[in-house]
Amino acid sequence: MKTKYSVAGLDCPNCAAKLEGMLAKTEGIASAKINFLSEKLTVESDLPSDQLLAAIQKTAQAFSAKVKIEEA
Amino acid sequence: MKKRHSPYLTHEVWQVIGGGLLLVAGIVTERLSAPSPAVLAVYLVALAVSGCTVWLDALRGILRRDLLDEKFLMTLASVGAFVIGSYAEGVAVMLFFLAGEYFEHQAVQRSRKSIRGLMDLRPDRAIRLSAGGEEEIDADDLTPGETVVIRPGDRVPVDCTVLDGTALIDAAALTGEAIPVEVSPGSTLASGTVCQNGRLIARVDHIADESAASRVLSLVEEANEAKSRQENFITRFARVYTPAVVLAAILLGVGVPLLLLATGNAPAWTDWLHRALTFLVVSCPCALVISVPLSFFGGIGGAASEGILFKGGNRMNALSHVKTVCCDKTGTLTEGKFEVRDVVVSGEIGRDELLSLAASAEHASTHPIAAAIRALAPDAPVPASVEERAGKGIVAEVEGRKVLVGTRKLLSDEGVFVPDGITGSVFVACDGRWIGCFTVGDALREESRETVERLRRLGVIRIGMLTGDVQENAQPISDALSLDFVRASLLPDGKYAAVEELIAEKQGDVLYVGDGINDAPVIALADIGVAMGGVGSDAAIEAADLVIMSDKLDRLPKAIRIARRTVSIARQNIVFALSVKLAILVLSAVGINTSMWLAVFADVGVAVLAILNAMRALRVKKL
Repeated sequence: MKTKYSVAGLDCPNCAAKLEGMLAKTEGIASAKINFLSEKLTVESDLPSDQLLAAIQKTAQAFSAKVKIEEA
Repeated sequence: MKKRHSPYLTHEVWQVIGGGLLLVAGIVTERLSAPSPAVLAVYLVALAVSGCTVWLDALRGILRRDLLDEKFLMTLASVGAFVIGSYAEGVAVMLFFLAGEYFEHQAVQRSRKSIRGLMDLRPDRAIRLSAGGEEEIDADDLTPGETVVIRPGDRVPVDCTVLDGTALIDAAALTGEAIPVEVSPGSTLASGTVCQNGRLIARVDHIADESAASRVLSLVEEANEAKSRQENFITRFARVYTPAVVLAAILLGVGVPLLLLATGNAPAWTDWLHRALTFLVVSCPCALVISVPLSFFGGIGGAASEGILFKGGNRMNALSHVKTVCCDKTGTLTEGKFEVRDVVVSGEIGRDELLSLAASAEHASTHPIAAAIRALAPDAPVPASVEERAGKGIVAEVEGRKVLVGTRKLLSDEGVFVPDGITGSVFVACDGRWIGCFTVGDALREESRETVERLRRLGVIRIGMLTGDVQENAQPISDALSLDFVRASLLPDGKYAAVEELIAEKQGDVLYVGDGINDAPVIALADIGVAMGGVGSDAAIEAADLVIMSDKLDRLPKAIRIARRTVSIARQNIVFALSVKLAILVLSAVGINTSMWLAVFADVGVAVLAILNAMRALRVKKL
């Protein structure tokens, strides 16, 4: 299932690509795509939504403290 | 709505101010006193203040073994500067990096805001009319079949059909069409258009998410995912840029001194390390990577505000060098409505009588040409009898006279002589004598001629027409517009074959523009497929590279100009950012520039300037 989130606090498309890569490797996440300019994250996963959000936020925190991800 | 301030940014501003003041204090104490631990302490505090958040992210980088992380490299550069004794530079690197990120962030946020502003088509609220009266609700809560009230000045909340009232509707935000359209009961309304005057009661046809405004927004949003050539180039470049610069820094800072040492020279460690650190300072590709997609984001957003939807940056590349344009005729180059262009009278009866007789004979015919003739004599009498001759015309009895209206063949079959040299598409005879004829054609759209000229000026080499209509009707249109080719009597698969041929000729990219009603496969086949007339047919929109929301062909040259300028802005940014980076690297490597200050300043400056330049892509009104 695909879920959309809003992402704030990324510096540049390069950083967005790095976080995208990290998210894609996160367990339970099949694919992740970040659109830097529209600040949208699309994640494909079978995890229940609360677990998924927690997993995403954990990965984001491991990337940078200032990245904020919320449900769109 | 107030822009949300992330706490990080407030920190950032304070960090820059605090770090900056401490840096000045450090420089002053260094000037006034001899080098002392006190001076070092001031600088260290300045570094800690400006660098703490960057360090935290650098640590995260180390933890995930990403040693090419920009934060890590910046930390390395500033710490390195301290190690070789350039305290002030070490602090400055961190400070400028932080300030630069702040400015970049602000610039990008502003761009996002202006683009979102352009795309602010969706009204949040709607007024629902039910048995209990009017109530204001969330537009998302409307369901098909419900009734809404649209007041003057309101934005149409969802796609709906007018039940009562008349009004002028301004669709500029959605279609780029400046002239308002009058609507009355039965007219359909697209969400995102604005009711200028009058109060309308309308029936909801689609929920908000499936209405025109939402579909436009999602098309534009998805468009950012189809990357342009320039974006792909810069992404690939960024991947090799950082490793290359870091490698060069290692060679400069460690390799060169070791080589000098091995060849018996003085290694000059400090000097070479300094040069290497300058490399690290400009190793982040962000400045480079940010402005190119932003240019396309701006261009696509700007185009959307003109009713032109690009399905991606790559489509801008393709459109910018289109060489062949082929158009559908009916509804694209022409109005799709037939009109009488020319009337020839034999001299036996007057023009009015001729029109009246012909209109009577055509009284009940459903042929589009009949409607055009009737339009010229609306008060013509009802015929006593009518007999249709398939493919030829009509034989009617009007007020006791036998009237023939149809092809030249019809008249000759009935033994009527038509003088040689008379041309027309519909011939009329009365009581066995030819009395006149009409030339009936599809009316050229007023903007067609200018559009064709503009396309030529934009360097389109071949412009032609593919139509299902017959040659006799297509040729005059083609002549009037001086088109390069015309293919008539084409069925949809014939259009497909024609476009296939044009592509096979390999004379540049081929564009096909159609209304999308039955030509979705042709739209998909063309190098650039353009669907005109809004977000009507799903298949056509799916297949199209470009959707023109209005049904005016004049959007096409505009789209080409927008595409060209966007691509050129993106190129400018690439050249500008790359050459500044390269200049810093070269000047630093050969030792002309020995200032990390200058390096980081130039790096940030180029990013901000490139972002500002990218924002020009958004301004498309005057193109």
